[in-house]
Amino acid sequence: MRTFYQNPETIIVNALLLFQQAASTALPGPDSATPPVFSYLPIALFLIVAAAFPGVALLVLRAVRPQVYGPQKMMPYECGLDPIRDARERFSVRFYIIAMLFLIFDVETVFLLPWAIAFDRLALFGLIEMIIFVGILVVGYYYAWRKGALNWV
Amino acid sequence: MEFADLNISYSAIAPEIITSLTGVAIMLIDAFSKQGARRTNALVAIIGFGLTLAALAGLWTGTWTPFGGDYFSGMVVVDHMRLIFSFIIVIVGILAVLLAGQFLKDEELPAGEFFSLVMFASAGMLMMASAGDLVMVFLGLETTSIATYILAGYRKYDVRANESSLKYFLLGSFATAFLLYGIALVYGATGTTNIVGIQKAIASGAINYPPLLLIGAAMMLVGFGFKIASAPFHLWTPDVYEGAPTLVTAFMATGPKAAVFAAFLRVFAVGFSSPTTGVGETLQETWVSVLAVIAVLTMTIGNVVALTQKNIKRMLAYSSIAHAGYALVGFVTGDFGPVAFYLLAYAVMNIGAFAVIQMLARPGDRKTEISDYAGVGFETPLLSFSLAIFLLSLAGIPPTGGFIAKFFVFRSAWESTPGLRWLVIVAVINSIISIYYYLYPIIVMFFRPLPAGFSKPKVGAGVTAVLVLTLAGVFFLGLMPDRVLGALNQGRGAARVAIQEAFR
Repeated sequence: MRTFYQNPETIIVNALLLFQQAASTALPGPDSATPPVFSYLPIALFLIVAAAFPGVALLVLRAVRPQVYGPQKMMPYECGLDPIRDARERFSVRFYIIAMLFLIFDVETVFLLPWAIAFDRLALFGLIEMIIFVGILVVGYYYAWRKGALNWV
Repeated sequence: MEFADLNISYSAIAPEIITSLTGVAIMLIDAFSKQGARRTNALVAIIGFGLTLAALAGLWTGTWTPFGGDYFSGMVVVDHMRLIFSFIIVIVGILAVLLAGQFLKDEELPAGEFFSLVMFASAGMLMMASAGDLVMVFLGLETTSIATYILAGYRKYDVRANESSLKYFLLGSFATAFLLYGIALVYGATGTTNIVGIQKAIASGAINYPPLLLIGAAMMLVGFGFKIASAPFHLWTPDVYEGAPTLVTAFMATGPKAAVFAAFLRVFAVGFSSPTTGVGETLQETWVSVLAVIAVLTMTIGNVVALTQKNIKRMLAYSSIAHAGYALVGFVTGDFGPVAFYLLAYAVMNIGAFAVIQMLARPGDRKTEISDYAGVGFETPLLSFSLAIFLLSLAGIPPTGGFIAKFFVFRSAWESTPGLRWLVIVAVINSIISIYYYLYPIIVMFFRPLPAGFSKPKVGAGVTAVLVLTLAGVFFLGLMPDRVLGALNQGRGAARVAIQEAFR
């Protein structure tokens, strides 16, 4: 049996849900005459909890953790590279273009998902629109390819 | 909402579809061809704009899609105001494409991207003109802005172009954020993003939380005010206009400005106009007063600072700020006619002036100081006489288009809103101030000695065509404005005449 000792985050999630329920039931909904600002109260509560969570965790860990220091450990973490050297050197920005291309297809997925959910209601029209949308992205991808954005120099 | 309520009509967005598809086509042609296909791309761009013009003309007849309808569930409107601004945008696009050929050839810059960016920017501008919804306004604004950020830095290895592009990008994004936050607040207050829906919500008094609406409107005013380069938000203009390639400056100063004015007019003169008591009245009186102050500041700062400029591109940048102020005077009439006519005349004469500057500055924009113009007058008569005419038109001297545009704006503001006549007086004083700095380059061109080692710039066919077209346009608008005015009158009442009611 999994108790809350084994995964403490469930407690926090449950507490947050309770908070949200309490906040949204205690206050009237957007239909009533109160300003809509108050319906954002759950978000404010979330903000407080989000700030408190890492803060408390850091404080508690500070008290509990073993404290061992060494030169390797004190080095800033930089993906295995030696972090201190001359800054004036040339480096390839290919990662940046790959990231941009990735972003395009990422956004494509974001748009594909709601379409897939409303697929039956949008019917043929939705399908054609989606084909056009994906077609535009394919054109962009092909353009980037032809222009040599994918060549690793 | 059901599917049928969307009211889909492809003919209503035909101009936008055609420009976007042309942009994609140019990209593909560029990707397929081994060497940069400059001529083919320019030709495709011109054909694309020609088809767009045809689509606009088709919409103008009203046979494809009836006027006054809103399509795509209120996202797109079809009315005279949209079509007139769309015509201005397409004219600017055609002139920019004609100018680009020589610029790209002289500086050996890639052609495909340039033309497709111009097409995409134009598509965004057309979207802004046709927007019936704040979301659509934002979409069009972003499409235009992103394309123009890149165009401003099109000279990749030029420090000034990089500065211009980065400055425009950072400040432009900041202003866009203002606009977007304003849209969010207005949506929160009225419960809709549809512009006519906002008007109805304000008129019925069903506002969730009135201060929200006022703050939202103020933030949108900041966003739009930045994009049209009006006074407290104008500081980016001189640097961006000076650093960008001359042709791009001409494009930025005319096309996006017209498009943003269209959206600005629709949001404020339609959406935020309801002379009912309560919030609507407060809102309307507030934004009209704020706009009047902004207009005074814009005209005065633009003209006074332009007096001291030594660089002709900077001078025309400040002049462009001043012209935005004159157009704002037309804004207070609440009718789009004067604003549209003003922006059309401004587009024609400004692109003409920048075409001459591009030629005289030589590749790389090396000679843009006014002192570089000494004595060129009788050496290159076509360029110098054209520039003189465009500058006189910008100053508002008859019989040019600039005079009629100013006359039309000032007269309609004088007649329609007695409460704001002082604004017209300020505007007239300002246009008298402006004559000094418009005449100064003419004097330098014709009455100063020519320095040794002057070589005539080679004027290509594209630039000659632009000069002929813009000169014809300046005199057409100046001598025979009735046709354009008739078209504008046909569409009267499409934008609401609401501001007069507040200040009568």
